[in-house]
Amino acid sequence: MTLGRRRSLWALALGLALAAALLLWPLAWARRPVTVRVLMPAPFADATAAMVADFNRSPRGVRIEVTRGPFETEAVSDLAISSLLLGDSPYDLLLMDVTWTAKYAAAGWLQPLDPWLGPEALAPLVPGARAGNRIDGQLWRLPLLADVGLLYWRTDLMEAPPRTPDELVTRSRQLQGQGRVPWGYLWQGRQYEGLSCVFLEVVHGFGGGWSTDEGEGMGLARPAAAAAAGWLRLLVSEGITPEAVANYAEPQSLQSFRRGEAAFLRSWPYAWQELQGEGSAVAGKVGITTMVAEPGLPHAATLGSWGFSLLAGSAHPEEAITVLRTLTGADSQRQLVRDWGYTPTLAALFEDPDLVKLRPQLPLLRQALNAAVVRPLSPGYAQLSDILQRELSAVITGGESAGPAMEEAARASRQLLQASGREAAA
Amino acid sequence: MRLRALLLMAPALLLLLAVFAWPMLEYAWLSLHAQSVFTGLEPVPVGLANWQRLLGDGRFWQDAGQTLRFAGVSVGLELVLGLGIALLLHQNWRGRGVVRSLSLLPWALPNTVMALGWRWIFDDPNGPINALLGGLGLATLPFLASPQLAWIATVVADVWKTTPFVALLLLAGLQMIPADLYDAFALEGGTPWQALRRITLPLLRPYIFIVLLFRLAQALGVFDLIAVLTGGGPASSTESLAVYAYLNAMRFLDFGYSATVMLGMFLLLLAGSALLLLLPRGQEVRS
Amino acid sequence: MKRFGRGGAALVVLLLLWSLGPMLWQLYTSLRTPEALLGDGAGPGGGWTLANYVQVLHGAPPFWRYLLNSTVVGAISTLLTLLLAIPCAYALSRRGGLLRLVVSGGLLAAAVFPYVLLFLALLQVARQFGLANNLLALCLPYAGLSLPLAVLLLQAAFAELPVELEENALLEGFTLMQRLRWILLPLMGPAVVSTGLLVFLFSWNEFPIALTWLSRSELLTLAPAMARIAGSSVFTVPYGAFAAATVLGSLPLLALLLLFQRQIVAGLTQGAIKG
Repeated sequence: MTLGRRRSLWALALGLALAAALLLWPLAWARRPVTVRVLMPAPFADATAAMVADFNRSPRGVRIEVTRGPFETEAVSDLAISSLLLGDSPYDLLLMDVTWTAKYAAAGWLQPLDPWLGPEALAPLVPGARAGNRIDGQLWRLPLLADVGLLYWRTDLMEAPPRTPDELVTRSRQLQGQGRVPWGYLWQGRQYEGLSCVFLEVVHGFGGGWSTDEGEGMGLARPAAAAAAGWLRLLVSEGITPEAVANYAEPQSLQSFRRGEAAFLRSWPYAWQELQGEGSAVAGKVGITTMVAEPGLPHAATLGSWGFSLLAGSAHPEEAITVLRTLTGADSQRQLVRDWGYTPTLAALFEDPDLVKLRPQLPLLRQALNAAVVRPLSPGYAQLSDILQRELSAVITGGESAGPAMEEAARASRQLLQASGREAAA
Repeated sequence: MRLRALLLMAPALLLLLAVFAWPMLEYAWLSLHAQSVFTGLEPVPVGLANWQRLLGDGRFWQDAGQTLRFAGVSVGLELVLGLGIALLLHQNWRGRGVVRSLSLLPWALPNTVMALGWRWIFDDPNGPINALLGGLGLATLPFLASPQLAWIATVVADVWKTTPFVALLLLAGLQMIPADLYDAFALEGGTPWQALRRITLPLLRPYIFIVLLFRLAQALGVFDLIAVLTGGGPASSTESLAVYAYLNAMRFLDFGYSATVMLGMFLLLLAGSALLLLLPRGQEVRS
Repeated sequence: MKRFGRGGAALVVLLLLWSLGPMLWQLYTSLRTPEALLGDGAGPGGGWTLANYVQVLHGAPPFWRYLLNSTVVGAISTLLTLLLAIPCAYALSRRGGLLRLVVSGGLLAAAVFPYVLLFLALLQVARQFGLANNLLALCLPYAGLSLPLAVLLLQAAFAELPVELEENALLEGFTLMQRLRWILLPLMGPAVVSTGLLVFLFSWNEFPIALTWLSRSELLTLAPAMARIAGSSVFTVPYGAFAAATVLGSLPLLALLLLFQRQIVAGLTQGAIKG
């Protein structure tokens, strides 16, 4: 019996020690000098690692500590939201997608940047990258990298890329008929944010838009929206795009295109580097251009940029701004372009001869940025996009026809706007 | 004496009230408020607006239907398969102890672990099922890209995981049935099939009832599996009510409505269990 | 009992294939290179690798961290649950009448309640009381959620102990605590172990509450960590690494199951028989 009791005492002591260790763990961290904590999605944490190390070596009295978030945009957002909701935001700066800004600002999680950066903070940027940072007259975010939706095409299969939806379809059919590629065109069709990005480009190409003067999401009631959704469905029903596209996000589509399984791919600029890399079946055989559009209409590119925001709970806003300035500065951006193939936001870098030599796609990216279209800037964006994704997914998988589906999406968006208006007024 | 009993029970009962009863009160309060990005995450009283929205929310009712269909089909399949496995494990053969514990493994794993595995198994075109179909010269199936197939995929994954649990409970029931009942029945010339229908099933009824109770409630709250396997897509065809409530809270930051969705789901469950309890229950088990 | 023929053997093989096939496929996947998985030119005998495991174990944080977190949460939740459930079950088993009926009914209702419904309110609790990102705090809701089943199981086990045993001890002047500790609990061993294992399994596997209460990656338990791993590359779909993670995540449970299969099975079936 005594043996049993002694053993249970040991177990108790061990348990208490473990408990104490777990409780004191966070305290140990808090005792360090001024540290600016930054949450970034994993790819950007990797890309900035060298710069951060440089910064931390120089004697500035400020240390950067980067938290490497998940890879997927939505997973990073979930992580950031749960940290912020729990009120224990361990971060000072957040590298955010362009679509989060309005929501985070409305939730009261961000500090306006104007007092720190002045009214001209966005002036050095290319015009396309300026959108989506200033909301209700206040600056909430400073972009680090630009991102635009692009059409990748195979230079070994054609002389010039298609410029209209019909051309893309005809060209794909031809190449598939000749047995040169199993699929024509790959894109992102899973029910997630990427689908909204794909749609936005196409709907502009058909002469429409997502939002109108009547309000966000109201463009879905117009005929162009039905035409765009119908075209996406046609790609699947005609076998130009595999049915599996309804479960494709960026990695699946890129992986398949990289293996040489299609003539066209819709993706972001970062895909370029990956397609040229070792093991790619299409290395050296890829060109980029903007999305197809009906004759005479603009070739739109969905804007998706990443930028830093200062969190409201930051204990060291001044130091955080120093870090923000350094990381978004010209040196930093140049390095990201040179070493990682990302797209800068500073206008000057697009004309830097050394960089252009190294990254010949820069002028085209700038052109795409000038044609960039922004997703609705609303605190309720996540919901608006969800409404659209749900209906588009139903159209792509053949469950609904394009017209009624887009009408339903417009109706649901209108209802959301009305409800939110009531709530905001209450 | 009574006081001491209450004292012994108090800590547990207090924690139970905090974990189960308090949330329902919180939801009732929240459902009468708007608390969203549009109110700066502050609660603002709005009367019955959330409930009005719920009644007119096609997605809520669609998800309710889908959740019910998912639960009904999965639990039905689990009962049939589980009964078969239980009958198999009830026979006398060497090594059945090992087989019993090995077949329990799917039940013991976290949902998210194998949900990730199923994503790969159902992959189009590289997953093993499609590799097999391709090898046989057949067309691949877009499992997670078609609303019907994706729904089937979620059912398969759920049946795989929870059938062992069902089988085990039914096996416990089988072991309570005296063997001489079967012997007597066989002497009178009854076939094994008749024995199953006339002896086994009637005597198993209380166990089947317990299985139904536990499994239906769990399946109606399905969340982990769907969150990882399909995320609710495509075309929201696999979205369950719990996933919808989660989306409203964590993605849309609409806490008032999320609470309303959950309370609505709770009320539906309450109505459902009332129905289930009114069904004839067979003879009680001796306790 | 009828003969167990060849058909029976075939059924057993089928059962094992169905139960273990998907797991074995994960094991196979975890040992293959990405090229081999996509059918890109790995010759026969080629394409085997341990790289997936190396990648998962060298992640930030390394995978064993999640297993450790889950173990800590599982162990403490189990202790806490038993600590609260044993006195409650004892008192319940020694009382008759209305109180027992009401409490047992309430416990049964709570035991079958789909607890995912509680996540939002529990999130509010975590916010108000600063319980987020704390593994010990997470054990509180876990204990609360496990209590109904634990009390029901233990209560049934207490009810089976002969009353005379306790009456004799009472005559010998044992206090309540002494009776519990020295007379009743030793006899309750099997029931306590089975109950504890079920609670441990629940806490180890729980997802929605861990997902909302934990945001720091070094504190994640296994279930939310797996979900976070799910979205982990922009370039390719790292199925090999996913599979390595599922294998590593399953191993501790396989060990637990093989070591304690009798107790786990007993716990589950007791619930069915006594419920």
